[in-house]
Amino acid sequence: MLLLVPARTYRAADFLAAAGRMGLDLVVASDGALPLGGRPVVRVSPEDIEGSADRIMARAGPVAAVVAADTPMLPLAAEVAARLGLPHHPVAAVAAAADKAAQRRLWAAATIAQPAFRIVPAAASPDAVPRAAAEVGYPCDAVQRAAAEVGYPCVVKAVSLSASQGVLRADDPAAAAAAATRIRLVLAAAGRPGSEPLLVEEYVPGPELSIDGLLTTGALTVTAVFDKPWTADGPTFEETLLITPSRIRGPLLAEAVSTAAKAARALGLTHGPIHAELRIDERAGPPRPVMLELAARSIGGLCSRALRFGGASLEELVLAHALGRPAPWRPDAGASRPSGVLMLPVSRPGVLVAVEGRAEAAATPGVTGLTITIPVGQQVRPLPEGDRYLGFIFAEGDTHQSVEGALRAAQERLRVVIR
Amino acid sequence: MTDLTGLVVAALEPSIRPSLIARGATVRVVGVDDGVATLEVTGSPGAVLPVASRIEAQIRAAVPAVTTVRIVTPGAQPPDAQPTEAGAAGSLAEQARRILDAEVNPAIAAHRGHVILTGADEGWVRIRLEGGCQGCSLAEVTVRQGIEPLLRARLPDLIGLTDVTDHEAGTQPYFSPEKR
Repeated sequence: MLLLVPARTYRAADFLAAAGRMGLDLVVASDGALPLGGRPVVRVSPEDIEGSADRIMARAGPVAAVVAADTPMLPLAAEVAARLGLPHHPVAAVAAAADKAAQRRLWAAATIAQPAFRIVPAAASPDAVPRAAAEVGYPCDAVQRAAAEVGYPCVVKAVSLSASQGVLRADDPAAAAAAATRIRLVLAAAGRPGSEPLLVEEYVPGPELSIDGLLTTGALTVTAVFDKPWTADGPTFEETLLITPSRIRGPLLAEAVSTAAKAARALGLTHGPIHAELRIDERAGPPRPVMLELAARSIGGLCSRALRFGGASLEELVLAHALGRPAPWRPDAGASRPSGVLMLPVSRPGVLVAVEGRAEAAATPGVTGLTITIPVGQQVRPLPEGDRYLGFIFAEGDTHQSVEGALRAAQERLRVVIR
Repeated sequence: MTDLTGLVVAALEPSIRPSLIARGATVRVVGVDDGVATLEVTGSPGAVLPVASRIEAQIRAAVPAVTTVRIVTPGAQPPDAQPTEAGAAGSLAEQARRILDAEVNPAIAAHRGHVILTGADEGWVRIRLEGGCQGCSLAEVTVRQGIEPLLRARLPDLIGLTDVTDHEAGTQPYFSPEKR
């Protein structure tokens, strides 16, 4: 098993633990891991796909499957799998899934239900990498024209970022222009090229859900459906509460799953994990699921720890699937006990001084885990600039209400000090 | 399952077992004998040992008939929940310490990291990561792909390696996770 592990990921430990439980002979390729003379560690860079793939081909030895532990390694994993002839999402499909503008265009061509949208090109020269925000921008009139066409309120998005970074709601023309300027700053800080366009799309109110699954030659097996009952209305869109299994049932859930599967196939994804985010549009006519975004990976952060599959982890399912092994779990095994995860957002910029009340929060009935993932003393930033979660709280219960209540109570017992 | 074992299982369910799962390990109750409850953990031992005393306290509070909690791993002699003095167990500790000092620490110093031996007995070696390794998002890669295979190659008597680091307490991890 070749596991590609980016340096700054939440998921290395869980994939390593899964590989250990499965007894896999693992080769790691990473932009951060140190070679210590133990098992092979191949030095790679997500920015140098060709060179990194060459090094892997030369040094990894025979491998039976390739898995990217997190987003930055997805293109390289696809490239290596293609060279080795191993089942995996194709390179072009992974690239399309990483580009929100490409997603929208491909879904439009495939008549996938999604918000109305417009793509606003940047004003910069195509290859410019801005050294300062003032060097590049989006023509205000173009952003406002796009927003007017999709209608207010709208959402302005960076096309290359994820986890709600670089995403802002705008309720009027001035807010749309301000959002574009602010997102440009976020993109500049992230080192994105100045040629990157912006996505302006219709704001769709309504319940949000995420669907995780594994594609096998295009056929989707759902591994988890999370409700997102605390989904924000904007201007920023913090991911906070996820509870599974979904309370959406019957034909509407089936339609949501079908929509996600079609959306994945429209991007060209064929073999591997997917994570889809949808909203239920209830504004007119019968409720209908609409696609927000889709990634060619399983759910991010530490959220997979809210899931168990008969004792196996989501990472074990992903690794087994990549190897072509039978899943250590059956999709029809029955509904699991409600469980949830609360991602703790960063409330304001500053230095994290303390997270107090952790013992009290962890002792909340129903809470099954609490992890703070930013060390005290580090700078923190909220959305849309921020790129880290403060931490994660996990809970289980007999009902969705009890899970939500436990997570809410635990959060209230935490006192996050940022100065 | 005896009544006492059932009580320990019940004590584990509400918070301990899920908490360990969330930290990357799983646990089951082997049994209770003469007041000693034996728990078998799998997965990441480093997720268990830092909270071993808390687990024991919770079980003893819930099941007063339990006086001691032993934590073991499958197919091996148990690593003690309370680490013994490094080096006290003899050659395994000394050999492990030499390898860590000579081959591991010079390498991980490049990431401001340091590893120390905290104990070794019954074939088990316990280590604690410090500096840039404590809380690093790639610490598990360092342990499982680097240190453990290195020790296994050099120490035929090694049964297992346990990382007892409290990674959440790390203040200067070399790599911090980001959402992408």
